[in-house]
Amino acid sequence: MPHRLEITLKPELIDAEGEALKRKAMDYFGIAVESVRTIAVLTIDADLTAAQLKTIQDDIFTNPVTQVSSYTPLPLSFDWMIWIGYRPGVRDNAGSTAVEAIEDMLGIKLGAEEGIYTSKRFCLVGSGLDAAAADKIAGELLANDIIQQWRVTSAADWDPQTGIGMIIPKVRLDHAPTVTTIPIDSDATLREISDQRSLALNPNDIPTIRHYFLDAEVQRQRAAVDLSDPTDLELEYISQARSDHCNHNTFQGLFRYSEPCRGHQETIDNLFQTCIKEPTLKLQAQKDWVISVLWDNAGVGRFDDDHYYVITGETHNSPSNMEAYGGAITGIVGVYRDPMGTGRGARLLMGGYGYCVGPRDYDGDLKPHLHPRRLLDGVIEGVRDGGNKSGIPTTFGQIVYNPKYLGKCLVFVTAVGLMPAKVNGDAAENKTTSPDDLIIMCGGRVGKDGIHGVTAASLIFSENTPAGHVQIGDPYTQKKMHDFLLEARDEGLVQFITDNGGGGLSSSIGESALFSNGCEVALEKVPLKYAGLDQWEIWISESQERMTVAARPEHLERFMTLSRKHSVESTVIGRYTDTGKLHVAYEGRNCAYVDLDLLKSGFPQWEFDAVWRSPEERGLCEPAIGVPSDCGALLLDMLARPNLCSREWVPRQYDHEVQGGSVIKPLVGVDRNIPSDAGVIRPVLTSTTGLAFAQSLLPTYSAIDAYHMTACTIDEALRRVIAVGGDLAHVGGVDNFCWPNIQYDAVRNPDGRFKAAQLVRSCRALKDICLAYEIPLLSGKDSMYVDGNLPGRYGITHKVSAPETMQFSAISRVPDVSRCMTMEAKQAGDLVYLIGTTRNELGGSEYYEHLGYTGLNVPQVHAQDFYPVYQALQKAIGQSLTASVRGIYRGGLGVHAALVAMGGRLGLALDLSNVPGETDLNDSALMFSESAGRFLVTVDPARRDSFEALFEGLPCACVGQVTSTPRLTVNAQDGAELLDVEIDTLIATWEKPHGELI
Amino acid sequence: MTATVRALVLTGFGLNCDLETAYALELAGAQADRVHINTLIAGELRLDQYQIMAFGGGFSWGDDHGAGVLQAVRMRTNVGKQLLAFVERKGLVIGICNGFQTLVNLGLLPGFAADYQTRSIALTFNDCGNFRDDWVHLTIDPDSPCVFTRGMETMDLPIRHGEGKFYAETDVIDRLVQNRQVVLRYADAQGNAAEGRFPLNPNGSLMDIAGVCDPTGRIFGLMPHPEAFNHWTNHPDWTRLAENRRRQGVSPLPAEMTPGIRVFVNAVEHFR
Repeated sequence: MPHRLEITLKPELIDAEGEALKRKAMDYFGIAVESVRTIAVLTIDADLTAAQLKTIQDDIFTNPVTQVSSYTPLPLSFDWMIWIGYRPGVRDNAGSTAVEAIEDMLGIKLGAEEGIYTSKRFCLVGSGLDAAAADKIAGELLANDIIQQWRVTSAADWDPQTGIGMIIPKVRLDHAPTVTTIPIDSDATLREISDQRSLALNPNDIPTIRHYFLDAEVQRQRAAVDLSDPTDLELEYISQARSDHCNHNTFQGLFRYSEPCRGHQETIDNLFQTCIKEPTLKLQAQKDWVISVLWDNAGVGRFDDDHYYVITGETHNSPSNMEAYGGAITGIVGVYRDPMGTGRGARLLMGGYGYCVGPRDYDGDLKPHLHPRRLLDGVIEGVRDGGNKSGIPTTFGQIVYNPKYLGKCLVFVTAVGLMPAKVNGDAAENKTTSPDDLIIMCGGRVGKDGIHGVTAASLIFSENTPAGHVQIGDPYTQKKMHDFLLEARDEGLVQFITDNGGGGLSSSIGESALFSNGCEVALEKVPLKYAGLDQWEIWISESQERMTVAARPEHLERFMTLSRKHSVESTVIGRYTDTGKLHVAYEGRNCAYVDLDLLKSGFPQWEFDAVWRSPEERGLCEPAIGVPSDCGALLLDMLARPNLCSREWVPRQYDHEVQGGSVIKPLVGVDRNIPSDAGVIRPVLTSTTGLAFAQSLLPTYSAIDAYHMTACTIDEALRRVIAVGGDLAHVGGVDNFCWPNIQYDAVRNPDGRFKAAQLVRSCRALKDICLAYEIPLLSGKDSMYVDGNLPGRYGITHKVSAPETMQFSAISRVPDVSRCMTMEAKQAGDLVYLIGTTRNELGGSEYYEHLGYTGLNVPQVHAQDFYPVYQALQKAIGQSLTASVRGIYRGGLGVHAALVAMGGRLGLALDLSNVPGETDLNDSALMFSESAGRFLVTVDPARRDSFEALFEGLPCACVGQVTSTPRLTVNAQDGAELLDVEIDTLIATWEKPHGELI
Repeated sequence: MTATVRALVLTGFGLNCDLETAYALELAGAQADRVHINTLIAGELRLDQYQIMAFGGGFSWGDDHGAGVLQAVRMRTNVGKQLLAFVERKGLVIGICNGFQTLVNLGLLPGFAADYQTRSIALTFNDCGNFRDDWVHLTIDPDSPCVFTRGMETMDLPIRHGEGKFYAETDVIDRLVQNRQVVLRYADAQGNAAEGRFPLNPNGSLMDIAGVCDPTGRIFGLMPHPEAFNHWTNHPDWTRLAENRRRQGVSPLPAEMTPGIRVFVNAVEHFR
């Protein structure tokens, strides 16, 4: 018989969760709620005695100091009550730990059919509330129908005896696992079945697939193992492996690029090869600190003689767009498995984030699945729980608002890890599988979660996108597995390790079997969350928190002992072979017998037409505007713009100090509120060597030219790590492309050829700038199809494509953390220097955007000119000649000078006539141009000569002074006062837009 | 030759500050072992080999049913007697953040009248409604028996928690104050009581309480993280401090140990 325990805080305690809901109901919808109390509900579907129930109630689930609880409904009064619980099969982390605790305390083991489910009741009091308001709160603030179910009850309809009843979201499948054979008599048949089963096979691949299965020798070999036409599992395997997400068909495609205006035409075969791989290999040959790139789950660089760092970045856009919290937590926890699965495995050191969403206050006609404000809330919380509960500091991040992200949001997550240079005497960055190695699956169990996640990410989002791929990450299970695998690694028990993410076992085993050249898998051995999954579902399920490990048979016993010690489930599910075959069976019956080299042969390359039209051809031009007479008001309005104002509430929710190595935090300055240029950590506590990390996103520039968007993004990320004390000779990069669909379609994607040209140009900039700055690409990923079809007015749907976006992450070794810099002005009397050349480059700027223009003169990167400037600055920082260093980024000199003053709570007096720059720039261009390659630096007057000597012949000039009067004053080039604003006013204005958020 | 002081730092089940806590103890002169909770439960290691026991930060069992609750259940059920014997033997216990939450759920704190099993204080959800990472100023009661804070008056430390609001019935708090068991209180930069003001008091703790000890001073629980102030570059003001020091012609970072490490040195010194 099931039991239901309700737990709530004693009435004298503040219900913070209820208060937050009350605030949001008012802020978001104007719904007045007088009070909200929350009740945690545990539905215990297990055969327990009265005494056992009492024990767990008192000793586990009720805090005698703060809580009351009851097995009958708690009599809290309400006008409206909202109950929210998970749908069947959705990961219920708290339900699982409840089972663990009960089993431990009572010394029992729950049966396979028994379980514990958590849910919540919200008791809302408010005289003005009605059913519609309660429904809105339930559906638009609390629950997401993709993963949750809810009920709304009025006080009148409430039965105090039965309460919410016994709602048990147990998965019941009543299904016998079945392997289905797929007929391949014609391309059309296979295409039809692919559509029916959401296989997402590329139509161009279908003839190749059929050709393989129709081959006489293949058929003979298959007949010998009782197989004929391909099974569903085999086609799923091929589909996963061939998906754009896994195989990067777009980047490996053939691009017919043309610029009709100048009669230029060329063909580029494989952007990945030409723009990413070749330059990185070239740089690897020059830089001995580049340890491992381009093949593993993450790239590896040398930290010191005994340690390597590991870095990669991912996106989790589609799932986050559907279920923000679940998508984001799954994303961050998922990217953390990449360093764990690099070489023999790395310990996680830090994470970073980048969110691109629609405006928080969007009130237009388009109806995205989740309003951007709610979506952002969920994404922030997902990364919060995923990072904090993993014990990994989140040291840097960014948010970009742009209405074009209404179609699909972008959620970038980056992970950095650390591995010893040697494991048990072997090079830690190497790994391989060998025949007879055991295939071991570690971590979570397998359910229907995430099936077709990879293929869904390769589709454009619509209201009909299957929702089944949304999951909720479980950092607790993963943290246990992380600790276990590191111990196993250090004992030399891990031959190969990779994560189960996109494509599940299909990808992890399929890819790892390439090393030994074969595998045999007994699928019935895979532990399941519940019975009734088909074989193909077990094979491709993306259930989270799992790693696939290859271990030698003689190490199995020790491996399993360690696994038990860490309370981690590990199961041998097969072995590696050298037969050349991917061989999968279920209870002795074969379900797959495919040549591993099938994927390497014969599939057609994707092809794209890419037609570039220059900004001038597209009619872009500079606006005809005058200069502002009220520059003070203008600067204040700029500081309040959503993309420039304070977002302190986000990094404050993220643990950025765990592991004890925090050096430069995400928020710096006297009031610890100004976003730092970069984060710095000291990953090896006994060492004073650091790692600086920053990333950059400048999608607005793509409206003019994605080449310069990309160049500026890389330049900004580089300047960020240099500003805090990074080493120019040791900067690694991670590129994360998020691009709208580039395949031309006259109806559905009429500008596909232009977007393809933007991609070609962007990749070229990546190559050009990385070579010029000597930044090897340690890792990178691409996520295509960031488009959405949104319903709007009159029932018209609109395709909304994200701007062409590339996030660039830079990581740099810091030789001595005691020389690191922060950006705030340190002392009155210090001199202010502007380093770098200011140009007439307001195109795509925040300033133009504020005034409603795009412009034409997008900032450009002159890497050959900038590099010696960066070298000089690095020397100045290395000799401690600077007191503060700030890069000048979005918003230009005006905005960043204000931040330097605000950070130090000191005044700055600047004179624009000394700014190094092009001649004939007007004052607003000097203030707001976003020219790349620039820094604002303060220097102790006593160090003036040494500092200036380093910059001889370079663009660098003293443009003012730090003052004790807390005002920002700027004189125009003609000597007149351009602006004079109190620092307190700047801070208040800058903090106001998000000031209420905690 | 000084005697070896052995410290045990718990790991496993979602705990996550074990590396830096062990490092801080080593810096302080102890020999620190990171020990999985299951190793203790299995009896492969016994507490009587140790003088100091650290319940560190993290999210034990995901903190799904109240922070530190399931860790306390697990420890009480499996090694409860050993724990009490450790306390009886006058071992030192420090509980940091999730560890503090565990100590109060075990009943090791407040430990009134040598009762180390009754739960009468709690750490509950922050009033601000969210997890928060920030540095706080703390004042230290010089008359507290707390072994860990001897000779210290103030310190700055980071807090990083969602459930750090100190809560107890009024009579319990009165008794804590009377016994000088309130070791740490949130304050402003000048050392004045925070008096509940956010964010000086980051979670709404009653009486600004950030850390308490048992009446003997040997069991100490605190929400802030001393192990995360193990180097001067951890402090949010360090770049300004370093700049000032350079201008005075001295090395950018002070040579002496950080206040965070001093907490652990006090513990090690206690046995010497």
